[in-house]
Parts: sequence; C-alpha cells; structure tokens
Amino acid sequence: MDEFQEILQDFLVESFELIEQLDQDLVELETRPDDLELLNRIFRVAHTVKGASSFLNFDVLTHLTHHMEDVLNRARHGELIISPNIMDVILESIDLMTALLNTIRDTSSDDGIDVSGCVVRLDLCTKGYGDAEAPAAQPAAPKAAEKVIEEVAEEVAEEVVQEEPSSGDELDYDNMGADELEAEIERLLKERMAEDKAKRASKLSSASASKEEDDDSGQEYEPIANVPVAVTPARKPASMRDDSDSMDDARAAAPAKKQSTVEQTIRVDVKRLDHLMNLIGELVLAKNRLIKINDDVEERYEGESFLEELNQVVSIVSIVTTDLQIAVMKTRMLPIGKVFNKFPRMIRDLSRELNKKIELEIFGEDTELDKSIVEEIGDPLVHIIRNSCDHGIEIPEIRLEQGKSETGTIKLKAYNEGNQIVIQIDDDGKGLDVEMLKRKSLEKGLITEKEADNMSDKEAFGLIFKPGFSTATVVTNVSGRGVGMDVVKTNIEKVNGIIDIDSEIGIGTSMKLKIPLTLAIIQALLVGVQEEHYAIPLASVLETVRISKDEVYTVEGRSVMRLREDVLSLVHIGDIFEVERILDSSEYAYVVVLGLGTSKLGLIVDTLVGQEEIVIKSLGEFLKGIDGIAGATIRGDGGVTLIVDVVAIMDMAKHVKATALIDTTSDAAMLTHEKTKASDYTVMIVDDSKTDRTIMRKALEPLGVTLVEAGDGQEALAILKQGDYNFDAMLVDIEMPRMDGYSLATEIKKYNRYKNLPLIAVTSRTGKSDRMRGVESGMVEYITKPYSSDYLMSVVQRNINFRSEFLK
Amino acid sequence: MSDKLKQIIKKQTQKENENLDHADDVVQLVGFIIGDEEYAVPILSIQEIIKPFPWTRVPQVPKYIVGVFNMRGAVIPLIDLRLKFGLSPKKHNEDTRFIVMREGDDIAGFVIDRLTMAIRIKKSDIGPAPDTASGDETAIDGVGKQADKIITILKVKKLLQRDF
Repeated sequence: MDEFQEILQDFLVESFELIEQLDQDLVELETRPDDLELLNRIFRVAHTVKGASSFLNFDVLTHLTHHMEDVLNRARHGELIISPNIMDVILESIDLMTALLNTIRDTSSDDGIDVSGCVVRLDLCTKGYGDAEAPAAQPAAPKAAEKVIEEVAEEVAEEVVQEEPSSGDELDYDNMGADELEAEIERLLKERMAEDKAKRASKLSSASASKEEDDDSGQEYEPIANVPVAVTPARKPASMRDDSDSMDDARAAAPAKKQSTVEQTIRVDVKRLDHLMNLIGELVLAKNRLIKINDDVEERYEGESFLEELNQVVSIVSIVTTDLQIAVMKTRMLPIGKVFNKFPRMIRDLSRELNKKIELEIFGEDTELDKSIVEEIGDPLVHIIRNSCDHGIEIPEIRLEQGKSETGTIKLKAYNEGNQIVIQIDDDGKGLDVEMLKRKSLEKGLITEKEADNMSDKEAFGLIFKPGFSTATVVTNVSGRGVGMDVVKTNIEKVNGIIDIDSEIGIGTSMKLKIPLTLAIIQALLVGVQEEHYAIPLASVLETVRISKDEVYTVEGRSVMRLREDVLSLVHIGDIFEVERILDSSEYAYVVVLGLGTSKLGLIVDTLVGQEEIVIKSLGEFLKGIDGIAGATIRGDGGVTLIVDVVAIMDMAKHVKATALIDTTSDAAMLTHEKTKASDYTVMIVDDSKTDRTIMRKALEPLGVTLVEAGDGQEALAILKQGDYNFDAMLVDIEMPRMDGYSLATEIKKYNRYKNLPLIAVTSRTGKSDRMRGVESGMVEYITKPYSSDYLMSVVQRNINFRSEFLK
Repeated sequence: MSDKLKQIIKKQTQKENENLDHADDVVQLVGFIIGDEEYAVPILSIQEIIKPFPWTRVPQVPKYIVGVFNMRGAVIPLIDLRLKFGLSPKKHNEDTRFIVMREGDDIAGFVIDRLTMAIRIKKSDIGPAPDTASGDETAIDGVGKQADKIITILKVKKLLQRDF
C-alpha cells in the first residue's frame, strides 16, 4: 500500500468516526440549539474533514465542507440561530458529506456527486436568509425535520446517486438577483423531485433483486445496504431507533456487500476490554470449579446415566470458555509492527550519528501480541537495537578489514513459537567477548573471581544485563551508561518473558526475547509441599523428574543431583517458602526443573498435582512484592493458591540454606509424655453413630482414660490437627459419611507425629478384604461389632500400654 | 406484628434522638474485642464481617499476616490483630470473625476475637489518642468515652498500611 493510500485509509476511518459522533451531536443540537460546546464540536468535524480533504485534493468535498464550516462558524459566534430549517440544511450537507466519503472509499475520488444545490442553501443560511428561504428550497426538509427515519435514508440515497445534473456549472449565486435566485432554486427543486421519483422506483427494483441475492442480510435496511454508498447513513436510523440487532445486521451486511479496503473497525476503550478479560478470568475459574465438581460427582455416582449428560455439558462449557478466552485475547492483540515501525527511522539516525552503515531488516511485523505487552516491549527493543548499533556493528573500515560487507545488518524478527512470541534481534557485528565481559564485570565488582571462573559462556553473556555493567570505554550519546540493558531485563521479566543470548566473536550476536501471548491467564504446574499447594508457570518448567532421596548429593553445602549429563542444583520449595514440615516426607520426591534463559534450577516438591489453567490475580497493594510470589489464583475448590515467581526463586535459591532432604523425623516425640495417672491417656472415638460412641465410651470409662469423640473422619482429622490433645490411640469406625475410616487412617499416617498412633478399627464389616484394607491403611487392630466391653477394654489397654497400677 | 415492630423502632429512634440531638455529630462505630480490650472502627470502613473460613498461608511476611483468602473472587490479605498487637496467638473459636475493612483501594481482612456491638457515639465524646501513642506511627485514632468504659478507636487507614 503506497503512502497516499495509507493516509487515505486513515482519513476515511477518522472521518467515519467523526460523522458517527456527529449524528448524535446533531440530534442533541436540535433540542439545545444554543449549546456552544456542541456547536463547536460539530464545527470542528467540518473543519477537520475540510482540512484533510483539501490536503488530499478532494475538491468537491472541500468545497462542501468549506461552506458547512461557514454556516457553523456563524452559528457558534452567535450570528446565526439554528432554526429547524437551517438544521435541515446542515443535516443535508452532512449526509452529502457521508455520501462523498463513501464514494471516496469505493473509488478513491469524490467525483460523481453534485453538491452545488446544497452549497447554495448553505450559503443562504450563512447570509441569514436561511430561515425564510429554506422551506421552499428544501423539499425533503420538513420530512427530515419530523425525523422520519426512512426519509433520511432515502434522501441520502437520492443525494448520492444523483448524476451530476449540473456539475461544473456552479453558478455565481452571489451576483444573482433575488428573482434569479428564486428561479435557480425552483429549477434545482424540480430537478430533485424528478430524481426522487426515479430513485424510488429504481430502489424498489434493486431491493427485490437483492433479496434473492442475500437473504440473511435481511431486515428493512437491506435495500439501503444494497446501494453501497448508503450503508453508513443506514446506521444512523438504526442507532436512533436503538435497535442494536438491525444495526448489527446493517453492519454485517456492509462488509459482505463491498470489496472495500477500509478497515472495518470499531474503537473500543481498553478499559472495556480489560473488564471483558477479567470476566473471562472469572469464567475460567468457574469452569475449573465445574470440572472439579464433575470429577467428584463422577466418583460418587459411578455408572449413573445422568453422568454422561453432565459430562457433555461440562465439556461444552469448557470448550466454549476456552474459545471465548482465545477470542477475547485476540481482540486485545496488536500487530507487533506498531513497535517495529519506529525502528527504520531510528536506525537511520543512529547510523548517521555513529558513522556506521547499518541496514535494518524486519520480518513478521504482523505477529500479534497482547496490547499490554506491546506497550512494555517498546523500550527494551529500543535499548537492544541501540546497543547492537553502538557495540555490535563495527565501523565500516574494520568491517572491510575483516572481510565483511561494509554495511552491517540488524535483523528484527517476530514469530510464534508454541504459546510464546519470539522476538529475535540478530546483528552481524563483532559479537560478545566472554573474557572481556568477565574482566569488565570483575573491574566493576559485579562478580567475584570465583564466579567468573565457574561461569559458562551463556552465563557470561547474561552479564550484560547486570545493572551498572558497560563494555563501552567511552560513554556516548547512544549508550554506555550501563543502564539500558538492565532495564531491558527488568521490563521483559515484568511481562514474564525471558531473554536468550547467543553470540560468536566476529560473527554476531543473536538475542531472543520469549514472551507469553498474554499476561492474565497462564498454564501452570501445580505442586504440593506438605499441605500447601503452589502454582508454577508452565512456561518456565522444562521437565519434572521423580528421584529417590539417595540421588541427592551435597556439594559445598548445596544439594545437587545428576540429571543426565548435567549437574543440577536443587532447592526444596519448603526451604524457600518456610513451609513447616508436619507431614512425613515420603521416600520419593519430585524435582521440577525450572529453566529461565540460560540458568536452570531443580525445585524439590513433595507431590505433583497437575497442570491447570490459572488466572493470575494480584495479591494487592498490601502484599505486593513478596519475594518468590508472583501472584495468586483461585482454584476449583475456591481456595487460593500462590503463584511462584520463577525469576525470584532462581535468585533466592542461591541464598537459601539447604536443609537436608532426609530430615531427622521428630518421631513420636510428642507421644512419649510421662503418664502419671489414668486420665493422662487420651483415646479418640470416631463413629458417626451416637449410640456406638456411647457404647464405646461406656466400655472404656472404667479405665479412667480421657475420651474425645468425633462424628466422622474429617472432624477427627480437624481435632488431630488442632493438637489440643496427645492421643494414645484411636477407635475408628469404617463406615462413615464425609470421610470413611480407611481414608482417615491414610491421612493420619501422613503426619509425622501420628505415624505411630495405634488405630483400632471398630466395624461391623467382617469380610476378609475389609480386614486387608484396614491393614493396608495402617490399622493395627480390627474389632468386629458386636464386641464385649471387656474385649474392647483389653485391646485398648494393650495398645496404649496402659499401666495396670492405674486400674482402680 | 409489624405494627409492634414499627412502634418499637419508633421508640428506639426517639430515644436515640433524645440522646443525640445532632445526628451529624455522631459517629457510628463497630466494636470488637481483641485480647481484653475493646476496639472500634467506623462502620463505613467495614465492607463485611464474616465467619472464619480457610485461607492460604503466604511466606516471607510477618507472623501477623496469616495469609490470603478468597472473597468472591478477590484475593484478600488476612491479618491477625492479636498478633499485630503483640498478643499470643489463639485458636479460632465460634466467636472469631473476619472483619473486611476497606479504605479506597486498600482492602484487608482482620481476625478479631469477638464482636461486641454497633456503637453510636458523639464526636464530643471522642478524645484524642494518648500522647504516648500519637503521631503518624500510631494506629489509634482516638478514645471513645462511654458511660461505663472507654473504647479505642482504630485508624483503618493505618491498619491497611503495609508496614514491613
């Protein structure tokens, strides 16, 4: 698209927007004719259109708008009162203007529409005759004044298709006598009336023709939509009726009917999109919740026929939600070209300033990215490109010496890669010198000598992002202050992006910015540590591995493991987030391998919960900036799960003291209290039946031990967690609502301090498999109902090591 | 029934009007107990009062910030006022409530031991914070004098301010 076309497009989009606003303003003006602000606004529209159209050489349009401007100018200076008649003329001129713009859109020229009649009437208004003359001069006016909407539309159509009956012969009305003028007006009037009739007839026929063509564009606006130039005015009546359906139809019909090049766009306040995005976020959360409930229901009512239906609904909701989310995300997308476009100019200026010859090649400027991200990456890209120009590309003489072409090339590429956008900046300059980078960093005290020795090339490249780092010996206007690249890193990380540098001395440097498509909703890996859950952005997770404890080695006080060929440093998520170790750590642990650019870290977690789509929510002003936490999300069960800030974790891992994975379990320490009397022994009775509990209580009361009752597994677990009592044994019923005895036993065995707590099943289930399950879940005794109280007492006595001297 | 109710309400309002002649000189507060003391905050800064429900611990914060919880889709910090005021932690019981307070965009839930009541108090009955606890640092807005006791009125703004 050449430059003129581009300007033309902008002009048209802008003008149509202005006119749309104008319609509302004019309607308002009719009720408040002396509202100066309204008048000013309308005047400005005419003025803007005039200015732009004269610049683009649309003489007819300029001519028309010029006269409109005159009238409005007088009105806003109070020299002219906007009477309904004058209003009609103004409305007519605006419709004409719209028609002209439509013609311009379709043909790129404004020929073919006669404006002289309208101009005459406008002039009359300017001179103040408007009030008296207009009724005679404007046949359609009274109707329009009554706001008969169809009439307005027709009038437009009529204006538009007018076949320049008197084009070119624009008479010098100023010099006419009053009679001549009357005659001229009379003539125009007749002409118009005749045309009016003709148009109506032709329109009827075209309407029926178009019905066959396109049925679904439907509604009464169809005929209008079929006459291309009248499409835009057709929106006006629609919107005046506040009938959004038909408006949509009219709009929908428009693009279908024309092969126009004008962008069909609506400008929407970003706030609305943000709001929409938030709503989608809520929807995603609700969807997650629904899926979870569906799973629960499925488990409970296995094999029921309604399950299938429920499944279907859930999956439809899930699919639609995902699609909706993508659709809304897309509305927020901007082509990255918006950012790229400013670089050619920048390169030109820079190359002149630096006396270098640099060429910029741009690829993939159509790649789309979320608006908020596009805004964030502008600055970093400027810094990177300036840096490439200043430090990367050599001066022409040196380039020639090295056998390169005199002109350096910087390539700017954008492309999709999975769920990410990659922006790649390649230069064919001198490349990064690892040794030099290390030396400079040492000089500036950014790293220690030891660090420098242990550094891989990739890590050394990363030095350029350290605050205060600069390789330039001289601080130039362009760069060298040691600020820029630091900013780059911060900004990119702010949008959850990562930077990957590759460089070869003498060949060039390549930087890849990998940026997520959107900020609000991400895929995350949910991990568990003890009783807590954390979400890790999946983009930073390279892999997960299960390890046994003896695979972890300690090197210089840090845990490491061997992962294939590499040594991976490890850190326990519990150490970073100060998680209390209440649960027994199992023999195996999982390592989530986090990758961020060039660095890797193994994060040890207790369990992997799964992958889930999460909506990032801020922790709010009060809790912002907590190390290692990027935000929070709300899970399917309504609970809050914190999101791990991978960048921060990587950093924190360096300072966290690694506690050994095999921690000395403070086994049963709590349980070995010295017993001095019978009531020091505490036994919990868990049964959902009050009667059963009473029977057990009666059986055990003679012992004099403290008895605590719980109505089901969850209640029992809650009592255990509270830690108000030190239990010596538990009598557990198997058949219980909410949480049965087996699950309760399994849960209890997870806790360090209750690992050795004797669990005694008291049940009427007598099957062998039941007994087996009891043993599997950690029950030590199995008492079947009915039982004698003596038997129960003796079993309990045995299990709590009841000292016989306490027996009364 | 409703007539009776109306009468009672009428009587009550009359009484109140007698007590408090100028409605605009009256502050409405909600009183609550933390430890042994009664505190109060302006009723308008309270968004809601809810029974305790599960929250999520947040690492790397002072002890008195017990975590965050989900209130209809918003993630809200939860602060234990017992711990914040230097008292020993206490198990939540059936009297425990979360008071969600808001001031502008700042919002947080506060764990309190027990609610007392809504209090209408004349502005003239509110004294300044004691000199030892004045200035910008204090969370005490003033001291409300009532017939049989005094109530410490807290600055919601200060409570919602991050101080770590």
